[in-house]
Amino acid sequence: MTASNRVELVFPSEFRHVDLVHSVCDRVSAVVGFDQDQTTNLGLAVREATINAIKHGNRMNARKKVSVLFQFDKRDVIVSVQDQGHGFDPSTMRDPTLPENIDRPNGRGFLLMRAFVDRIEVEPVRRGTVVRLIKRVPDAATRRGRRGRS
Amino acid sequence: MRARVRNVGRTAVLKLSGKIAVGSGEQALEDVVAGLLEGGVSRIVLDLERVSYMDSSGLGSLVAARRAASEMGAELALLRPGGKVLDLLQLSGLLQMFPIYDDESKAVAQE
Repeated sequence: MTASNRVELVFPSEFRHVDLVHSVCDRVSAVVGFDQDQTTNLGLAVREATINAIKHGNRMNARKKVSVLFQFDKRDVIVSVQDQGHGFDPSTMRDPTLPENIDRPNGRGFLLMRAFVDRIEVEPVRRGTVVRLIKRVPDAATRRGRRGRS
Repeated sequence: MRARVRNVGRTAVLKLSGKIAVGSGEQALEDVVAGLLEGGVSRIVLDLERVSYMDSSGLGSLVAARRAASEMGAELALLRPGGKVLDLLQLSGLLQMFPIYDDESKAVAQE
């Protein structure tokens, strides 16, 4: 899958960059015409993927880089978040909603990502892991209909 | 995140505003709650009405604060969670973990 417009951010693994990624994500959402709710949802998902890349992928090692690539067109927004860690298997992650896990302070990031985009792909690459978040852009007619109803 | 504390007997009402997210308040919330517990409160009410934004770290800080209160024999309740914050609590299954109130006087009266 490709989308014609590309914006890429590459930065050290430090939480202070998360707000910058979120701001760029909000701008991309505005360009493709997402409404407020869609903008908030994509921003949350991208934020969580970025935090995971810094914290779990690169283990807060500022010498390791995180790359966030936004690709977008009239049909999709694809956000690829790449770390330089040792990879992970999403199928082995604990379900944070189960009673035995609900009292843990961590482990909810992937749950939020799954909830707020249409599809997630996790791909091991030569140096790290790419988490790809894909959110469809409603067509103009759908957007007009939504505005008309609200 | 900003926090204003008002004490009513042994209950502390913590009026929060801004973001509770990674790098902007999640640790601050845990520190404020820890300070209140050390001061001997038996109940903490977190007023979330003016919290504009929360991520998974913010949710984690609520869970950590609840656990810290429980370990000290205290209770932590949530007041007026709304919008996206309420959605996130629901989605993560945390809504059932906290006493939730819409009315401050009722939240305080539970002491």
